[in-house]
This record gives sequence, C-alpha cells and structure tokens, in this order.
Amino acid sequence: MGFQKILKKMKAKEKEMRILILGLDNAGKTTILKHLNHEDPTTISPTLGFNIKTIVYGDYKLNMWDVGGQKSLRSYWKNYFESTDGIVWVVDSVDTRRLDDCRRELHALIEEERLVGASVLVLANKVDLPGAASLEDIRERLELDNVTTHHWKIVRVSAMTGENVVPAVGWLVNDISQRLFTI
Amino acid sequence: MDVNKNEQRIFEGLELNYIPGDEDDLSMDGSPEKPNYFDLIVGQLEDILIDQRFQQLQQDFLNKYCHEFDDSEENKLSYTGIFEEYVCTIERTIEEKLKLTVPNFDMDWFLMELQKNKGSLDGEVFEMLYTLSDFVAFKSLVLDFKAEKEGRNPDFANAFTVVPLRL
Repeated sequence: MGFQKILKKMKAKEKEMRILILGLDNAGKTTILKHLNHEDPTTISPTLGFNIKTIVYGDYKLNMWDVGGQKSLRSYWKNYFESTDGIVWVVDSVDTRRLDDCRRELHALIEEERLVGASVLVLANKVDLPGAASLEDIRERLELDNVTTHHWKIVRVSAMTGENVVPAVGWLVNDISQRLFTI
Repeated sequence: MDVNKNEQRIFEGLELNYIPGDEDDLSMDGSPEKPNYFDLIVGQLEDILIDQRFQQLQQDFLNKYCHEFDDSEENKLSYTGIFEEYVCTIERTIEEKLKLTVPNFDMDWFLMELQKNKGSLDGEVFEMLYTLSDFVAFKSLVLDFKAEKEGRNPDFANAFTVVPLRL
C-alpha cells in the first residue's frame, strides 16, 4: 500500500530530503530551525508539539521536522522516524550536567532500525555562551567515536548568532545527497 | 497523420482527461497487452474521488477531528496519529473501490504507472492524493474545512451596503 509511498518516490526525483531535528529540551532545536528559515530566533517558547519547515538548500528541498525534546515527549519521537534521511542532534554545550542523558538518548536513536540509513549531524550549540564545553569534551562524553553504523559529524555552532549553522547543514545535505541521488 | 485525424486525437484526449500523445507513451511503456488499462483505472479513480459517498467519508473524517486542530504554526503531537488514520482510511477505501470496479486490479502495477504518468491526473485529483503524502497539505485541508464549518471564510455579504434610492 500505496499512494503515500509512490508520491514520496515522485518527490525523491525532485530532490527532497526529510530531516529530523532532535535533542534534549532547551538544546536549541527550534532556534536552529528558525535561523535556517531566516526567522527571528529571539522569541521562542518550549516546543510541546512539532514544527515543520521546508528549506531550500542549493538544489535541494529540506523538509525539516523539529519535535519537542522534553522528557515526556521523547516517546513520541518514534512517530517521526519513517523515511528520515538525516538527523540533526542538537546539544546544549553549556548544560554539561545532562550530557550523559544526552548520550543515552542519542545512542538509543542510533540503534533504531528505521533510522539505519540516516546521516547524523551533531550540533554542539550555544558556543557563544560562557562555560560552553569544548568540541572534544562533547565528542567524548557522547561517545561519538563508538558510532560506526552511521555517517556522523560534530560541529560547534551558535543558533542564536547563526555561527556555523549553514555550513554544518551543508555537510549533512552533501552526505545525504551522495547516498540518495548519485546513480 | 492528416489534420482531421490529429484533431480527433486531441478531442479524444480532452474527453479522457489526459494530454494527447499519452497513448503512444503508454504503448511504449511495456504494457502492450493492456494498453487502456491505466486510463481505465485513472478514470475510475477520478470517479471514486468525486463520488458523493467518498466525499461524505472525507467530510465525516474532517468533521470528527477538525476541532482538534488550531491554526497555529506549532503542531500538536496528536495531529500525527490523526493524519495516519486519515491516510489508512482513504487509501483503503480507494483500493477497495478500485478492486470492485476494475477487473484484475493490480495496485502495484497501477502505482508504478501513476508514477510514470503523473501528468495524466488533473489538478484536483492530484491535490486530493497529495493530502495523503504531505502532512502540511493535510493540515491545510483540515483547517480550511474547520474555517468553513465555523463560518470564518470571508463573507462578502458584509461588503454591500443597502441605501434607499431617492428619486
């Protein structure tokens, strides 16, 4: 069955990608999305549901899904896994106390069968704030080097100032496109 | 091909709701044993979608759930389950009806052909099918329905002012 799959395939020809933005609450997922969509990121309240934006990046149309990260909402993430091409995992670099929590949630995602083919972009966010952990610290605490089943990359960004966000997403788009659209 | 024949082809094409020249494409698409099978199904699909019973089914669904939807940017998590139920209900109905009306209906073959011939569906039918694949299209369908139900669609009656005519 049926139409949904076929219409998605039609879209695939139009070079669309489905990207899921996840991470703990207050990591800055919606701010990342707003920045990518050229919207004012200063007036954001905690996401209790989900946001969708379609962003044009070069030749590609990115369908970006940002789902709330509060603990009670995380069990709903699985409803958004289907057909996901890439994951943007947003980390609050200042909230070092919750990095273990963050690691557990990330590794649980990576073991998800429906996300097997997805590329993973880890954004160490809020680097403009004092007390932000270094890239190496976060990489270690999240045990990223143990991830061998997915293409991944970690980048230091600030969603608030926009620093590095667009080039980081560029890596993700490029990685996905090599898998989806070559030959 | 002489002009008359050409005109006739164009006329037939219009009547069947697909662009002239499709016939040639179809016969090249590797189904010479059933050249009109695809057109037959598209015709049936269009009939199903404009059928009052189908429209009623869709209206009932929208009626049942539209109160859950708000016209705000952030979506509630509950929308996702409702969308899934919508897709299942509509797809199941379409497939069941096609099985009844089209001899030897083969969904997989049809979907493959549909992909190759997406221009053969007219705008409205494609728009309807789009609400099955695109959450955002579904959400706007629900919100439009809700606005209409609550009478929030623009009512131009207010734009008229009645004044007595003095002679």
